[in-house]
Amino acid sequence: MAQTETWTDTGIAELILLLREEAASGMESIVGLVDTDTCVAAAASTFADPAEAATHAVANGLELAAIDTVGGDTVNTAGDTITFDHVFTATGAINIVGIHVCNNDDDVAFIECCFNALLAMANTDTLTIDGQSTIDQA
Amino acid sequence: MPKPVRTKAGMKTTVTGDLRNGICVDCNIHMKVQKVWIDTKREVDGNTVVTPKLLDRPVCPKCGGMIGQLIVRITPIKSPAPPECLKCIWRFLKESIFVALLSAYHARRVAYAQSNRPENKEILERYRTGEPSPKTIWQAIHANIKLKCPICRKYDKDPLLFRR
Repeated sequence: MAQTETWTDTGIAELILLLREEAASGMESIVGLVDTDTCVAAAASTFADPAEAATHAVANGLELAAIDTVGGDTVNTAGDTITFDHVFTATGAINIVGIHVCNNDDDVAFIECCFNALLAMANTDTLTIDGQSTIDQA
Repeated sequence: MPKPVRTKAGMKTTVTGDLRNGICVDCNIHMKVQKVWIDTKREVDGNTVVTPKLLDRPVCPKCGGMIGQLIVRITPIKSPAPPECLKCIWRFLKESIFVALLSAYHARRVAYAQSNRPENKEILERYRTGEPSPKTIWQAIHANIKLKCPICRKYDKDPLLFRR
């Protein structure tokens, strides 16, 4: 199974709301997805309904948290990229299949990522996420 | 009505991840999870705003380091672009076969590296980092066969070429 990552439809709608200066919030939170098997990221996924049977982690250090670092970067044209880095520290055993990158209101998942295999984390394990998203017009 | 402007690639997202255990990479001793002040960063109006936050991190009692041994690094795989002409279909098919083989290799590699955590067993570093990754269909076939074969993994030999 390949690792899959995608912007969700609701994430794009939230982005458009930000551009229109309507009620919306930017990239701020991250949460682990738990499941018994790998998932496939889907544009139709939402914050409340992640890919396939995956659910948000609610304990053991993988629960919803503020992203450690959110910044800007350049890939093709100046400022066309947003970067996000986060370290999850497991405080107990947990199986992670992916992540949701969410808004500050914690009601919209901008990006869904499903890993290429289930990650079985033990207590004190860390998962360092390093992501970037580019809106490319090059 | 004017035709909408289509960008070449749209939104591209890449996510990589390092899974590390709770054993200090320098001192080789178990770390303990404790609250540590970590600088979180945001860019506001072009300036980087640093906010210290109290977060859980594993800390080495000897050196104070917070980096554990690498269990496995997950690898993002770019899916092939859809064909835009009849001539491109053959290239698309080749790329699709390569991506399928590469995905199978990395999924198996991640599972293998996790079942052989660094505190339990030493395995080839390439299976933890994913580098070097196969670049062609031929290399991907070899890498998959090698990863399935315990003797080839142990002695780092290609089962088809009898060399590394």
